[in-house]
Amino acid sequence: MRYERQILIKQVSEAGQKILANSNVCVIGSGGLASPVLTYLACAGVGTLSLIDYDTVTDSNLNRQFLYQEKDIGKPKVQIANEVLSAFNPEIIFHPIYQKIDKTNITEMIKDADVVIDCVDNVETRMIVNRACLQQNIPLVEGGVNGFYGFVFAIKQEYPCLECIGYGNTKLKPPTAALGAVVGVIGSLQAVECIKILLGLEGVLYGKLLNYDGLIGSFETVEIQKNDMCEAHLFVN
Amino acid sequence: MIEVRLFATFREGRDKISYLEPQGYHTAAEIIHYFRIADDEVAICLINGRHSKLDSSVKDGDVIALFPPVGGG
Repeated sequence: MRYERQILIKQVSEAGQKILANSNVCVIGSGGLASPVLTYLACAGVGTLSLIDYDTVTDSNLNRQFLYQEKDIGKPKVQIANEVLSAFNPEIIFHPIYQKIDKTNITEMIKDADVVIDCVDNVETRMIVNRACLQQNIPLVEGGVNGFYGFVFAIKQEYPCLECIGYGNTKLKPPTAALGAVVGVIGSLQAVECIKILLGLEGVLYGKLLNYDGLIGSFETVEIQKNDMCEAHLFVN
Repeated sequence: MIEVRLFATFREGRDKISYLEPQGYHTAAEIIHYFRIADDEVAICLINGRHSKLDSSVKDGDVIALFPPVGGG
């Protein structure tokens, strides 16, 4: 039986497996973080996965984006992801959406999601996703990397968001340094947080910025606070 | 003491946690300059977990967390 080993986990059990099967997760961005996110959510039997991306595979993706191979270069990532994940687990429904996210279309794209996972590589899109999820009260799992370092945290209305911590001021200088194994750690953690949210478990990283330092092999959590002047939260209320 | 926690690439060549005497520092900017970090290198500055501008005042007992840009995928 496909899910036998995870049904053995008391926090999952058969009841939780049914919850996962009936869940809908929207993944935004189909790069390095999305490869483990999509793979592990498909493995876990999350019933419906949507993937939004407007990019094609290049050779510089292949050090970390393991959904794609050399033969896929030049093809839309969502198309390849659809083929790979559908073969991987035919039980899941996969919606590949080949479209660029912006302020005008994000609401419609995520409206059916139980959880959104942000796997994009730029600050502007993250801020759009952040506001849309707050506005629609959809939990959001954030993750990001730079070289040997990465972070993960979860967002919903009652807790701090990207704008609360001033993330909008971040000036990434593309291309961001990325080691495949580190991206894999962070993407896997995002998948774990997503599954915890779907199952209604405690301990989700709301208000907690989990930092990974691959050079010394450590995880450290920083408690973060909501900002009363956060425009994203004010926009919701 | 003021506890200063550096993250990601800010740690390279520096201690990840430092404790500074509060007398010598009035603002977050003065602290980052102590670590020879330029203002525009700081993506996120948290004082006691709250987003703070670099001209925010600091005091004894504060915990300051500084992050460079992290966010690729």
